[in-house]
Amino acid sequence: MKLAEASKKEKTHLPEIFYEPDNSLKNGYFAMFAEIAKEIKNSRWLILQLFKRDLLATYKQSFIGIFWVIILPLVSVLTFIVLNHSGIFTVGQLDVPYPLFAVWGLTFWQTFSTGLLAASNSLVKAGSMVVKINFSKKALVIASASQALIPLAALTTLSFLLCLLYGFLPTMWIILIPILALPLLILLLGLGLILALLNGIIRDIGNILAMLITFLLFLTPILYPLPKGGSLARISLLNPLYYLINLPRDLILFGKSPHWTGFIWSSFAALLAFLLCLAAFHLTETRVAERI
Amino acid sequence: MLYGIQDISRNILGLGSRPGRLRPGEFWALDNASFNVQRGETLGIVGPNGSGKTTLLKILNGIFWPDKGHVRIQGKIGALIEVGAGFHPLLTGRENIYVNAAILGMTKKEVKGQFDAIVAFADIGDFLDAPVKHYSSGMYVRLGFAVAAHCQPDILLVDEVLAVGDEGFQRKCFDKIGELKKIGCTTIIISHNMHTISSFSDHVLLLDKGQAEHFQSPQDGIHGYNQLFFQQSDTEIDKNCSGNDSIQFVHVETSAKKLNPGDSFTFRLSYEAQHSFPDIEIDTAISNGSDSRLYFQATNRAFGRRIDINQGTGILEVTFKDIPLCQSWSKIILAIWSQKRTELLFWWRVPVEFRGQTYSSGRNLLNIEYQQEK
Repeated sequence: MKLAEASKKEKTHLPEIFYEPDNSLKNGYFAMFAEIAKEIKNSRWLILQLFKRDLLATYKQSFIGIFWVIILPLVSVLTFIVLNHSGIFTVGQLDVPYPLFAVWGLTFWQTFSTGLLAASNSLVKAGSMVVKINFSKKALVIASASQALIPLAALTTLSFLLCLLYGFLPTMWIILIPILALPLLILLLGLGLILALLNGIIRDIGNILAMLITFLLFLTPILYPLPKGGSLARISLLNPLYYLINLPRDLILFGKSPHWTGFIWSSFAALLAFLLCLAAFHLTETRVAERI
Repeated sequence: MLYGIQDISRNILGLGSRPGRLRPGEFWALDNASFNVQRGETLGIVGPNGSGKTTLLKILNGIFWPDKGHVRIQGKIGALIEVGAGFHPLLTGRENIYVNAAILGMTKKEVKGQFDAIVAFADIGDFLDAPVKHYSSGMYVRLGFAVAAHCQPDILLVDEVLAVGDEGFQRKCFDKIGELKKIGCTTIIISHNMHTISSFSDHVLLLDKGQAEHFQSPQDGIHGYNQLFFQQSDTEIDKNCSGNDSIQFVHVETSAKKLNPGDSFTFRLSYEAQHSFPDIEIDTAISNGSDSRLYFQATNRAFGRRIDINQGTGILEVTFKDIPLCQSWSKIILAIWSQKRTELLFWWRVPVEFRGQTYSSGRNLLNIEYQQEK
């Protein structure tokens, strides 16, 4: 306790840091959220720098660079067009050309999957940094999750150009894309936080996730409309991703959507999941370095 | 891995992580390591490999949280646990300065203001705009230290990181540390170089197997550190002394291993030679115990002495006359070679302790005496 005496003697303006087992929950859950907000506010510049770093690093030493973002979804769309044409897979009656339907769906899907994968691998990828420098791990995950904005921007542009090519004008809802995609971004950030943490402890999480994402693309009605009946239709009605992706697409293509109720409920679910995951991350991030 | 899941589950549920209890397979990396450092002081941390030095630094930095006990720190911490830990190999030095500075907790304004100083300090020339993967390890460290040293910490933690830089850069780094100290920055430094420790530290923390001992005087700390190795030194002659089929050293005696300045030290070797060894070479040296720097080295040739070993038994005596060394832990080394150094016949390093106060004798020449008996 000599230290305590010493610090009493020397009253300074210097901020005091105190490390002790289990002191993250001392002030209760609500104070914790204030702490988190302050931490994120203070690390805005750090988040921007980390985001820029990832962006630069991903597309350096590559010929086509950022165009990789649109190549993967284009290949998926082309595959489905071929399957559709050869009759192996039928999408049924659509009010718009199928490629437009598919590419807008993939715009949002790719946003979600890119962000989620980047976020969940962020801590492991930065492992050596995490154990050698003390910095905000939340900033790291947020910066990685923000990678989702790149496919969002790139694919929106691509989809828009494709619409013009087909002589189909999207509705004015297109301007509101940042807001329409917000629940999806919140959900991916929440899931990204908790998956990053778990991946730090159990590496299997990363592998399972990579597999699961591919499955989920085919299990969610994104590249095809909701089936009329059957188990897939029933599952999809409980799948928040279905609403979070289909409502923006419907609005952009048709200006109206039957999914408003589902969308609002899913948004609440996304927000709740985000807050829970954020709290769990905050409580356990001091354990990350020793396990990574 | 299971412990990890267990730990985070307890944290989320707010159960407390049962501090102070070890599960099977766990151990205390640091235990009983209490100390405090005042503002503007420098603490040197020394200890053998694996004694918990870096763990301690990481706990002070908040990377690891203690499972027992507490850490209380006033002020902003700048840590150099590994320089350039946040560097991305594909980015250029310039880009990495910004990212690294942000990771180390600098604000945008601070980086803008310090950027030129960082570049000037790193002094890597045109490489600033090359990807850091093309950097030499020295350049990497230069840039890493330059960023860390300019984040204006109140407390600077330095792990043994500067060993890679060249002489000039090391001096620059120590100048910078001294400069920070002058403006009231507290420094905690880990080093295996006792010279660094003795020239910077106000006091010393000696770690051994996670246990810490705090010495108010750096000299005492260094003494304690050297003693660890002194005790570990091999005093078993059989293991060190060689000999071969044609010559056997049957008995080796040395004089007392605790010496006062001006004392002499004698090796007395009894041998059995199967044939004669004309014109052998006896290499004598005194080295610093901790970093193997030589205080003295010479062979019998330097003293103009020719020594032959004849067939049969005999005794060879080598005496270091009036050794003018003051307080230190040293090793006295004796090696015997056949003519033209074709064969090593005998080799032994004896740890000795020189006692007595620091003084300058004005002499630095040492005389060696050689005697042979039949």
